[in-house]
This record gives sequence, structure tokens and C-alpha cells, in this order.
Amino acid sequence: MNNREHDLLRLSAVQFSAWELHMYLDTHPNDKLAKERYKKYMAEYEVLLADFEQKYGPVNQTTSKGNAWLSDPWPWDISKECEC
Amino acid sequence: MFQYQKKLQFPVNIKNPNPKAAQVIISQFGGPDGELAASLRYLSQRFSMPYAELKGLLTDIGTEELSHLEMIGAIIFQLTRNLSVDEIKKSGFDKYFVDHTTGVYPVAASGAPFTAAYLQCKGDVITDLHEDLAAEQKARTTYDNILRLVDDPDVREPIKFLREREIVHYQRFGEGLRIATDKLNEKNFYAFNPSFDKNFKRNF
Repeated sequence: MNNREHDLLRLSAVQFSAWELHMYLDTHPNDKLAKERYKKYMAEYEVLLADFEQKYGPVNQTTSKGNAWLSDPWPWDISKECEC
Repeated sequence: MFQYQKKLQFPVNIKNPNPKAAQVIISQFGGPDGELAASLRYLSQRFSMPYAELKGLLTDIGTEELSHLEMIGAIIFQLTRNLSVDEIKKSGFDKYFVDHTTGVYPVAASGAPFTAAYLQCKGDVITDLHEDLAAEQKARTTYDNILRLVDDPDVREPIKFLREREIVHYQRFGEGLRIATDKLNEKNFYAFNPSFDKNFKRNF
């Protein structure tokens, strides 16, 4: 696993934790503990996302500058290391 | 509106192409219990959902299903790269190849193209939530069947993730149904027709 894959996995894991809590809160809107956990994961996600975009290029089109949006890899591309 | 993120929800990195596996997994792209049907079902049904919790739930699960559609597309794309004509013929992939080459087309494993007949939007909260609960179980069964047919861990890991999401969505829809039935009054104890008729004078 290269650095980009490692950082992407970490970003995705934290994003997933926040997403799971967000969806749980749809049916449990008054669960205070879940809200706290959601906030914690979202704060961590914001930091990891900014770091990832700075190192490897845009994840959101809103943060894309110039032609960076068009640069490889695309999400369905197999990672370089894997190309055997 | 929707905004795209240039990443998958869960990584897909498949070392070995396998057109045989692609032919069964494509059912979760454009088949009867696939991710395209799931996202269209929830993103259509949400407009007639009466309660905030359910509007939120259908929006969120429908959105997540679009991410799953993308993951399945990535799996099909990677399983069908660098194939020789011989491999295409031997694996039985030739029947798909002749119409779509290695493009990713929404179709069931049996060859039936995607149709909106796979889903329903009934405009009744109780009816629609029951369809959603059934849809999650049908998708979970399809993923179980894929796991019975596919050995490669590179393919199984993302499929196992998607299978688990069906179980979580089923749980959330169950809670949504409980919220809906809790809001019905004693005149609607048997959970039928909870929202439409009360806004209109009955003239029959």
C-alpha cells in the first residue's frame, strides 16, 4: 500500500464513521452521545481532507484549482502498485 | 443538488481480471435488486415522505446507494480489463461483449436490461417503507449469492462491505417504519393510508 492509498483509506474510514452516525441520527435525532461522536469524527475528517487534497489533488470539485480535477487517478482506476 | 467526491466509499483494487465474476456481479449494477434500482427507489420515494426523519433517511440512503453503484461499476471495470479474445470466448463473456465491448452497462446477470419496473414509488409511507425493507433484504441475498460464487479476496472485500450496508440500511428503515407507525392515531391502528385522504373531503 503506497502513501496515497494509506491516506485515502484513513480519510475514508473517518468519513464513514461520521456518515454512519449522521444516518443513525436521522432516526435518533435526540441521541446526545451520537451527536458528540459525529462532531468528533467530522472535525477529524475536515483536517484529513484538507491534508489529503493538499498532497494529492482535489476530492471536491469546489476545491479544485486549474486542471487539477482532470488529473489521474480516477476512483475506478486500479492503484499503480497493483498494476502487475 | 448533488456534489461529487472524486473517491470511492470503500477501496476497489482488483489484481486479477475475471470476466466470469463480472458477469454475475453486474446484476448489482443494473439488475432487479441492484444499486441503481435502490438509489432511484429511495430518491424518488422521498418526495412523498411525510416526516422529517424519513425525508432525511431516504435522502441519505438513496445518496449512499449511488456511491455503491459507483463501487460496483469500478469492480466490473477492473474485472474486465486486458482480456484476450480467447478469455472472452472461454468465460462466456462474449454474449455481453458483442453488445457493449467492455463498457459498463446497467443490465442483470441474465442479460435483461435495467428497467424502472424493478422499483415502486407508491406515495404511501407504510407501503413504500415495506418495499424498502424488502429491497434491502433482496440485495443482501444477492450479495450472499455473489460471495458463494466468487473466491478472489480482492473482489470479496468490497462485496462484503456492500452486503453489510444492506443490513444497516434494513435496520434504519425498520426504525423509520416504527417512527411512522408511532405517529398514526387510534383510528389508523392497522397502519393503512396514513396521509393522503385526510387532506381531502371524502366524496365517496
